[in-house]
Amino acid sequence: MHEMALMGEIVQLIEQDARMKNIKYVKKVELVVGTLSNALPDALQFAFDVYKIQEDNCLTTDAELIIHVEKAKAICTICGQQYEPVAKIAQCPTCLLPTGRMVAGETFRILAYEGG
Amino acid sequence: MKIALEVDVLTNNNRAAAFNRQLFEETNTLVINIMSSPGAGKTTILEKTIEALANEFRIGVIEGDLATEKDAERIRALGAQAVQINTHGGCHLDARMIAAVLPQFDFQHLDILFIENVGNLVCPSGYDLGQQHKVAVLSVPEGNDKIPKYPTMFMRTELVLLNKIDLLPYLDFDVEQAKKDLSYIHPQSKLLPLSAKTGEGMDEWLHWIREGVARCKKQSISQ
Ligand SMILES: Nc1nc2c(ncn2[C@@H]2O[C@H](COP(=O)(O)OP(=O)(O)O)[C@@H](O)[C@H]2O)c(=O)[nH]1
Ligand SMILES: [Mg+2]
Ligand SMILES: [Zn+2]
Ligand SMILES: [Zn+2]
Repeated sequence: MHEMALMGEIVQLIEQDARMKNIKYVKKVELVVGTLSNALPDALQFAFDVYKIQEDNCLTTDAELIIHVEKAKAICTICGQQYEPVAKIAQCPTCLLPTGRMVAGETFRILAYEGG
Repeated sequence: MKIALEVDVLTNNNRAAAFNRQLFEETNTLVINIMSSPGAGKTTILEKTIEALANEFRIGVIEGDLATEKDAERIRALGAQAVQINTHGGCHLDARMIAAVLPQFDFQHLDILFIENVGNLVCPSGYDLGQQHKVAVLSVPEGNDKIPKYPTMFMRTELVLLNKIDLLPYLDFDVEQAKKDLSYIHPQSKLLPLSAKTGEGMDEWLHWIREGVARCKKQSISQ
């Protein structure tokens, strides 16, 4: 459900841009999806497949979706170590204190699209 | 032809949130976005809060639910203005839904606007509504493991109301462990145990709200 709405946003943003550039169809979309962004790659792919077979948007029926997954990353504010947080997001694995600052993983962006 | 677009997927939401935020700031309204799983006690906490603050502040509420006016009716029964948004299956509120109902409020005569989000611990936290504060409600019967299991909610809320502490004697919820878990996910966040039913702990929550209102008003004096 949620990813269908998000794919609607993605298609809308691409169509806004494509219209200005006089691009009629889109055959490839590239996204960056952070592991903490609340969007699931599989569900996004499913939503994309639903959208691309519909006729009322710019996606071609064989359009391709590429998802670059951005891993969560935190930096300890004490020792400076960079680590991939699991459940204890702010806990530095070296200092064992909740001193981490999130620097990656929340991204959810459209990188590029291809069409003509 | 390949076009580098480089935009946030929530661009249109963020634009609407900026519009909302500007209105809230210009009218010095304190706006609090309250999120939790269904049944944690958001509406009950709001009812008790409105009862306690009705003589001090003018309060409005936006209620988000999949269907029905039930929660808005509970708030209206206390004499506060409430607008219900039905998302018809949608699992969160977004900033455009909020912007669409804002004209129904008279912001010149409002001190606090509470937004009760759709019951869901996952996606509501990802949508900026233009609020100054995001608050999560977690309730004792939901169990100890919810903070580490739903980190994307608790890393984005500055205050967690641990509701239904009147049930602590009957359930094995460990409050100290919950505080520790929260500090690992989001060290700047605070856990505030309370019971909307008995009123225990409510004073600290009301104090937090009063401070928020005072900050909003002070901003208008210094401008
Ligand atoms: N025991 C107990 N029950 C509560 C408390 N707060 C709310 N409830 C009950 O929890 C249920 C759900 O509350 P509600 O406010 O509708 O939750 P919401 O879905 O988050 O808005 C209702 O039956 C409330 O009476 C509390 O502090 N203690
Ligand atoms: Mg409710
Ligand atoms: Zn460290
Ligand atoms: Zn959602």
